[in-house]
Amino acid sequence: MAPTPQPPTAQALTPAVFHILLALADGPLHGYAIMQAVEQSAGSDVRMGPGTIYGSLQRMEEAGLVRELPSRRDDRRRLFTLQPAGRRALASEAQRLARLADLVRARRLLPGDA
Amino acid sequence: VSRRVYRALLRLYPREFRARFGRDLEYDAQDMLRDRGAIRGWARLLIDLARAIVPAHRHARVARRHTVQRFGHEEGSMGSLLFDLRHACRTLVKAPVFTAVTILTLALGIGANSAIFSLVNAVLLRPTGYEQPERLMLIYEGIPRAKLSKMTVSPPDYLDLTAYQRSFSAIGAYRGQLYELSGGAEPEMIQAARITAGVFPILGVQPMLGRGFLASEEQPGHTVVILGHGLWQRRFAGRLDVLGQTITLDRRPYTIVGVMPASFQFPKRGPQRNGEPAALWTPLSFAPFEREARGMMYNHSVIGRLRDGLTPEQAAAEVSALAPRIQRNYPAVILQSGFSIVMSAEPLLEEIAGEVRRPLLILLGAVGLVLLIACANVANLVLSRAVTRQREIGVRAALGAGRWRLAQLLLTESVVLAGAGGILGVLIGHWTVRAMPTVIATSLPGVEDVTLDLRVVAFALAISALTAVVFGIMPLLAGDRRDLNESLRDGSTRATSGRRQHRVQGGLVVSSVAFAVLLLVGAGLLIRSFNTLMAVDTGVRSARVLTAQVALPPATYTNAAAVRPFYQNLYDRVRAIPGVRAASIATDVPLRPDGERRAFTADRADDTGGPPASTAVTWIHGDYFRSYGIPLIKGRTFLPDEIDQDRRVAIVSRAMADQSWPGQDPIGKRIKWGGRPSQAPWMTVVGVAGDVVDGKLGEEPVVHIYAPFVESADIRVQTPVMPLLRRMVIATLADGEPATLVDGVRRAVASLDPALAVSDVATLTEIVADASAPQRFSTMVLGAFAGGALLLAAVGLYGVMAFGVAQRTREFGVRFALGATRRDVVALILRQGMTLALIGAVLGLAGAFVATRLMTTLLYETSAFDPLTFAVVPVLLVTVALVACYVPARRAARVEPMTALRTE
Repeated sequence: MAPTPQPPTAQALTPAVFHILLALADGPLHGYAIMQAVEQSAGSDVRMGPGTIYGSLQRMEEAGLVRELPSRRDDRRRLFTLQPAGRRALASEAQRLARLADLVRARRLLPGDA
Repeated sequence: VSRRVYRALLRLYPREFRARFGRDLEYDAQDMLRDRGAIRGWARLLIDLARAIVPAHRHARVARRHTVQRFGHEEGSMGSLLFDLRHACRTLVKAPVFTAVTILTLALGIGANSAIFSLVNAVLLRPTGYEQPERLMLIYEGIPRAKLSKMTVSPPDYLDLTAYQRSFSAIGAYRGQLYELSGGAEPEMIQAARITAGVFPILGVQPMLGRGFLASEEQPGHTVVILGHGLWQRRFAGRLDVLGQTITLDRRPYTIVGVMPASFQFPKRGPQRNGEPAALWTPLSFAPFEREARGMMYNHSVIGRLRDGLTPEQAAAEVSALAPRIQRNYPAVILQSGFSIVMSAEPLLEEIAGEVRRPLLILLGAVGLVLLIACANVANLVLSRAVTRQREIGVRAALGAGRWRLAQLLLTESVVLAGAGGILGVLIGHWTVRAMPTVIATSLPGVEDVTLDLRVVAFALAISALTAVVFGIMPLLAGDRRDLNESLRDGSTRATSGRRQHRVQGGLVVSSVAFAVLLLVGAGLLIRSFNTLMAVDTGVRSARVLTAQVALPPATYTNAAAVRPFYQNLYDRVRAIPGVRAASIATDVPLRPDGERRAFTADRADDTGGPPASTAVTWIHGDYFRSYGIPLIKGRTFLPDEIDQDRRVAIVSRAMADQSWPGQDPIGKRIKWGGRPSQAPWMTVVGVAGDVVDGKLGEEPVVHIYAPFVESADIRVQTPVMPLLRRMVIATLADGEPATLVDGVRRAVASLDPALAVSDVATLTEIVADASAPQRFSTMVLGAFAGGALLLAAVGLYGVMAFGVAQRTREFGVRFALGATRRDVVALILRQGMTLALIGAVLGLAGAFVATRLMTTLLYETSAFDPLTFAVVPVLLVTVALVACYVPARRAARVEPMTALRTE
């Protein structure tokens, strides 16, 4: 068996976290909206329901990536927004993926790359 | 509907998660079902739920732990057991004295209970391993005129019984026998039993390998053997191909036909005769002369299994009704002197356990009391501690801990205490049980297979744990939330539910003191009785005497002409061992009730013509009286020529002289063996020896005749059936330490016959100790219990007083400030403590008056109301109680008034 290729940088985000950060990049969203955005950006790669979304948000909150927007009304849905650290993590992950994509393209590994 | 279902499912999430995201989750679910339809929507929701629950719980747990580390307590759920345990351990370690005392108290209670109950269980309750053992009975004979009410059975009477009896589906006979087992590294004497073919089927036990004995093997000359499991393992390493192989018993080859299972033990200890568990079994056969031995050889135990539908009482009635019928088969020469026999049957289980039942039950009662005291103490300790923690509990309650949550914490502590105490207790019990057989030797039947009974352990553990738990959360149940808040405001050293708690604690102290007094009285009586018993003159001077036994196998020493010179030579060689001051060879050891008994007739003028009296007989060679230190009261010992040649002389015991010739000089009087018509030659009494205890200490001395070995009949020496005169005891009086003679004696035996086994090597001191082993055991154990109980009661008293003093620091400060002296305060504390102790002592003595009556049969020449014991025990208790109260009292007196007032 061939050894699994290592990603260029060590700090890869999990797909779920990456896609949630991506979804929040355009502004604060509530849980269901995040879920729909993730579904659009990740397709069937990342499948998340409400429970998994909030679980992830909780952990990301503790990691300082996102925060909940304070709300004055009780019946409103909770809105989440990116923290500066979250924006940085998203940017560096995007860079990493871009480098990865360049690498792949340079080796002409993808079909259609002439 | 779907919304309600989903809401119900949300309960699977941790509470915190639900509180925060519950509403959003519901909104999302609504949207999801709207967007995707019911089926796909639900599928997504359920998959999501399944994926999210576990991480959510893990997260919640981590978060809680953080909270706890930051704020010292948590609002937990049952899921936080691990946390509670760790918290409990930490808290307990911070109070090392409380923890150690509680755990030790519990351990003592649990350990002692488990050990003693396991012993009782092994002896009284444990199944015998026989089928329906309650249907098994032993049959006995008795000769009323000789004051013998319960003897084993003679061969012809047994044969009559088999023919006449109808109550038993079958009866069988057995008797113990020692064999010399050779062929291994060292020849050894091995305990065996000779049994009729019916015995194993009657017991309902099959051999594990091979077969039992056949009826045809009850004819003389069948050298077959069934091995016990232990011997099979030891000699044959448990090999399966032993059947058909031979072992050498008394220098004759015996063919192995069977092996019994490991659990099998027969005979069981308990009955007076034939009660030694056998390592192997050989067939019991009767030689022609044995079948005719009416009036002799009463040495076969007879066992029977009740016929279906009959009660033991009915069988016993039938057996006793058979006696006259069997008696008619006795020859006229025996019957004409007014001879008669009686018969009886006793349940086997009674015979196994009967004698030791009462001491064991008393021990059980004693150990139960120790457990009660232990529980009372634990209750006290835990109560005191709970009160000192009132403030801590108040803080927790103020921070929002619910009553149930607090109970959980306290409960966990109690469980940890009970668990630790339990584990230590089980270990103590285990060690005690392991040590038991060596401590009590053979004085209790079945004691070699005591194992710690797990049900007992569980029971003792449960009781102690329950005590710890109930009293641990009691303050919480008693007080309410307001009290808890009070305790915060009030300051640290004041209990809120103080008065009631004091009464409970006082009650606990009083009861443990009372139990301790009860035990002390019981132990005191036993100790008094034991001392009286130990002061009994055994009749021998036991220091510096070594004894050992040899038995000459009939195959090699076929007749008296071979046996006699052997022992004469052996005596000469033993006598020549350096360091031997005096030596003898004789047929029994003093203090062992296994010697020969014979009928005899004393020649006297006023002979009223009654039946012959019975006497113990010892055939001796050498300097018997000197080697055992038995005093000669009148006349002389045997002269050398009387030892070497048959001069028809005898020495009688003092009891014998007093009974046969009251008020006369016995020297020169004549006695003969058998009844008046007997043809046996007369023997002349040349001396009177001091009485020697023969069997149990404290019993009336038995009449005893000593005659030179040379006078014994050749026929009796050479019979292989009664190995009485081939199995002899060597006794040596040493110049110094008797144990140093062991090698010399062994070499002397080996120089005559290297294949001969030397067995039962023991100093006379050990034999005397053995004779008092049952009493020693009861006294030791009850004494230990009483000591433990006293200690526990003192600890309890001390604990309560010390706790009270600590609690009342401010009160003492006020008292001092108002002019009380230190002496006043010491007196106050002592008065309060001693009041509790005295109430307990009075109650305990009252209980003892009632309870010790049960001990009457255990006591030797000691009244159950022995004034000394009843006087000494309260004094002892009061002394100990004074010490237990004085320490806290001193602490109270040392309180600095200003400090005390400032502590608030």
